[in-house]
Amino acid sequence: MSIAVQAPRTIAEKVARLNWGVITLLCALAFIGVLMHFSVSSGVWDEMPLTHGMRFAALLLIMIIAAVFLDTRFWQTIAYPLYLVSFLALVAVEVIGQTRMGATRWLSLGPISLQPSELMKVAVVLAIARYYQQIDPRKTGTLLWSLPPLAMIALPAALVMKQPDLGTAMLIAITGLALMFLGGLAWRIIAVGAAGAVGGALMMYKHLHGYQKARVDTFLGLQDDPLGAGYHVLQSKIAVGSAGLFGRGWMHGSQAQLDFLPEKHTDFIFTMIVEEFGLVGGLFVLVLYGALMALALRIALRSRASRFGRLAAAGVAAMLASYVFINTAMVIGLAPVVGIPLPMISFGGTAMTTLMAGFAIVLSVDLHPSQQGARGLLL
Amino acid sequence: MKTPKPLGRSKRVGSTLPKRDVNEIFTRRAALLSLAGAGVMGAIGVRMFQLQATDWVSRQYTEAADENRFDTRIIAPPRGVIYDRFGTVLAQTSKDYQVAIIQEHAEDVAGVIRKVAEILGMDEEWARRAAIHVRERPRYEPAQLKAGLTWEEFNAVNVRLPELRGIVAESADVRAYPYDIVFAHPIGYVQKPSQRDIDAALRDPEQGEARAVYLRNPDVRVGKAGLEASLEDKLHGEAGWRKVIVNAFGREMGEDEHERRDPVRGSGAVLTLDADLQRIAMENFGEESGACIVMDIYTGDILVMASAPGFDPNHFVNGISQAEFATLNNDEKKPLFNKAVTGAYAPGSTFKLTVGLAAREAGVEADWHVGCPGYFSYGGRDFHCWKKGGHGSIDMHRAIQQSCDVYFYNAALRAGPERIAAVARQLGFGTAFDVTVPNIEDGVVPDPAWMQRVRHQPWTGGLTLNYGIGQGDLQVTPLQLVTMVARLGNGGRAVTPRLVREAPGFGQPPAQPPVISGISQEYLDAVRQGMFAVCNEGGGTATRAGSLINLKRRPDGVIVEAAEAPAGSTPVQIAGKTGTAQVRVITAAERARGVIGNAQLPWKLRDNALFVCFGPWDNPRYACAVVHEHGGHVSTVVDAPLIAAAVMRETFKRDPSRRQAASLAQLEARFQGETA
Repeated sequence: MSIAVQAPRTIAEKVARLNWGVITLLCALAFIGVLMHFSVSSGVWDEMPLTHGMRFAALLLIMIIAAVFLDTRFWQTIAYPLYLVSFLALVAVEVIGQTRMGATRWLSLGPISLQPSELMKVAVVLAIARYYQQIDPRKTGTLLWSLPPLAMIALPAALVMKQPDLGTAMLIAITGLALMFLGGLAWRIIAVGAAGAVGGALMMYKHLHGYQKARVDTFLGLQDDPLGAGYHVLQSKIAVGSAGLFGRGWMHGSQAQLDFLPEKHTDFIFTMIVEEFGLVGGLFVLVLYGALMALALRIALRSRASRFGRLAAAGVAAMLASYVFINTAMVIGLAPVVGIPLPMISFGGTAMTTLMAGFAIVLSVDLHPSQQGARGLLL
Repeated sequence: MKTPKPLGRSKRVGSTLPKRDVNEIFTRRAALLSLAGAGVMGAIGVRMFQLQATDWVSRQYTEAADENRFDTRIIAPPRGVIYDRFGTVLAQTSKDYQVAIIQEHAEDVAGVIRKVAEILGMDEEWARRAAIHVRERPRYEPAQLKAGLTWEEFNAVNVRLPELRGIVAESADVRAYPYDIVFAHPIGYVQKPSQRDIDAALRDPEQGEARAVYLRNPDVRVGKAGLEASLEDKLHGEAGWRKVIVNAFGREMGEDEHERRDPVRGSGAVLTLDADLQRIAMENFGEESGACIVMDIYTGDILVMASAPGFDPNHFVNGISQAEFATLNNDEKKPLFNKAVTGAYAPGSTFKLTVGLAAREAGVEADWHVGCPGYFSYGGRDFHCWKKGGHGSIDMHRAIQQSCDVYFYNAALRAGPERIAAVARQLGFGTAFDVTVPNIEDGVVPDPAWMQRVRHQPWTGGLTLNYGIGQGDLQVTPLQLVTMVARLGNGGRAVTPRLVREAPGFGQPPAQPPVISGISQEYLDAVRQGMFAVCNEGGGTATRAGSLINLKRRPDGVIVEAAEAPAGSTPVQIAGKTGTAQVRVITAAERARGVIGNAQLPWKLRDNALFVCFGPWDNPRYACAVVHEHGGHVSTVVDAPLIAAAVMRETFKRDPSRRQAASLAQLEARFQGETA
């Protein structure tokens, strides 16, 4: 079943061999984003839809260039150094970070302000892929050899949680654990870990910040607070429930257009999609994401030459799935409100940049299937 | 186990761990994760479907969304217009010019308010306060800076609007009283509903929450005094509403035109009052305190209902300042009080007309004479006549003309308190005539039974003497005084006063009021002759007032100025009675020192001056009662008889009962097809 694929030589050849399915899906999602931001702007071609579209176009170009010029070996090479830099930056945030809107997430580097937690999302995927590339397959099932990747996930997740950014911490943890699972984590460890996680969650709940706790409480139905933490989800459920099969029409969703729906351009944009395009529209967007995940996973499965590449590509798919599932589940009241945007569609450059970087890796792995990197400790 | 792929090269010699095919594990687990992902996606899809299915069954989310976006905005109805008897507008809803600021449109809120202050001639302090005040209002709504702008001020702001970003100049409906102080008492004023009104609506099961919500609307005004309060149901009209689309911050984003209900204008009301006569009456009081009522003696139409001093009801409409209200409320002349119907006074000598009638009915002969030495000794006490030297031998005609106290002490003893009280009631005393305005006082007509019931004391002869000169517990209102003199003037007919000529639910009075049974025309005539003498025969107490009329009736019946009257014209005269009522008890010690003249007394302790009259003498039509509080008949400029004469003179000249009154239907025709 393994087909020897001749690696492309010229740049033109490489561009032609890019996975255009992935690119098309990304473009489709970003276009839906532009449509929704046009609607958020009440049908005016102002800054928002334009910024979204142009930001995507620029990132798309960078992604393609990166995919063409950087091969799997490059990503493998930078995996540990990138992780180290991200980790140090997270520590730096803890020490000297800027506080905006009650959370310390930003590092100021002259004119650029950086969120090291975003960098870490990509870094943790690369580092864990790198780790499993490196170790003896027979050791993948042992507890001892499972501890280093666990630490690689737990330490940054804990730092991010302290910022506090529960959503990103969850995202890092879920993505990393999915990768460990794919890497060959033993079932008995998983069983013990799952039991430990339930206990840990109860412990962690006690140490959550006030607003995080309120959100979790509301989600669990322990607290009835329609104007506080529950207001967001209540209004979101009203919008989804009243939308009908085909929605109220583009730019006619009353909950979104009249500002009853909070954060409609970022975290709650999926609600706006459902309100204006109905159940059908919402499912269509979910199908697009599903197709994108499937394509990324297919690339991983087909990349038999590089264990690092396949794990990295699968990790990006897991990260995308985490984004999409957490976000959509939260807006319909299936998960607590943790502030995770809908990738490619929500307004804002952070998540988009992170995901596009991820897909640069995926496309790069797809384009350079037979690259086998060094297997030393660092290089 | 398969042969290890190139990846398997990493195995180390000597490892005891079992071999694992990581590729196979990856494939298997990727499939598992995909399955899990599909499961999560399915759960999300099912959840969305569940929310919609719930709504399909219960409509709960659709209703919640509608409740979010639709808001009912009340449109206050235009209030009914109040007219005088000839259609002159006394109260109406008119445009008020206002300037407001929408803060979110303004770049510099404080700065632009300072510019407005400059245009309107207001000071820095005003601008500073206004800036603080508007900050408490929503940023997207107009917040009022100043209301009641003149047309010139409004224009001045309007032409400079381009440089005043955020400022809006607008007109709003506001209740206006064009005669300001003149009709303050009969018409009253409207105000924003108070918290007490809202609480009362909430307690009333028939009104309830909806009414309370309506009352909280900033555009709603309700009648708080005078006819505005008592005709509230008729004047108010029916509120309309608009169904508007609002955003999460309550800002209006659009309107559902199909769901609009226009408000219904309140019904108008035509009063019996004559605006010009009312104005003249108020002017005649100057700074003084008192009340004046003029009435048609056949229809009961009140042509003048003046209470002085007045106040400007316009100041109440948009909220009167604490300071201004306190000034009005604490004024010793009680400007907020409708003295014409609420003021209760001892009638003094004006009551002698009643006592005279009662005495004749008790059998006092027409030529009965009483000797007046200036006092009357009764029960070991001396009861004094106002005239120290006395009137000598005097009959009822002269006693009325010169207001001899001693004659009426004797007459009262002959009549007895029961008969006096009975005649007083027949003439209208003790009755709270419903002239529609609130707080109508019924006064006190005492008799032995009343004394026993209320004071728990026996009646004494001394009380009868005091009764004879209208002092003691007797309390009457100007409205009762004018009714009394009207009933004397119209030949003993039980006319009742009215203030509303035409309004829904108000009928017409009988063409001829019924004759009061048991009052002899002969006795009535004797009293009337006495009243004529008061104003027109030498020695009368109000000849100066009588001479002020100075009008003549032309042979064709029209009343004109005496100087312009052709030959063959007859004089137009009034018949009246003066009264002076003590508001304090004069002690024997004081009387020994010599009673202090009213002019030397503090205002509050001076006697009340009263005057009642009817006319024209040759063909009576109008009655008038004036109470001049603490006037004491000391002024030669403002005094009860002079006020009455001035007002009656104008009444005769205008002769309103002979002119066609306005019809409400005709007046209101201009509102046909009106949409607010």
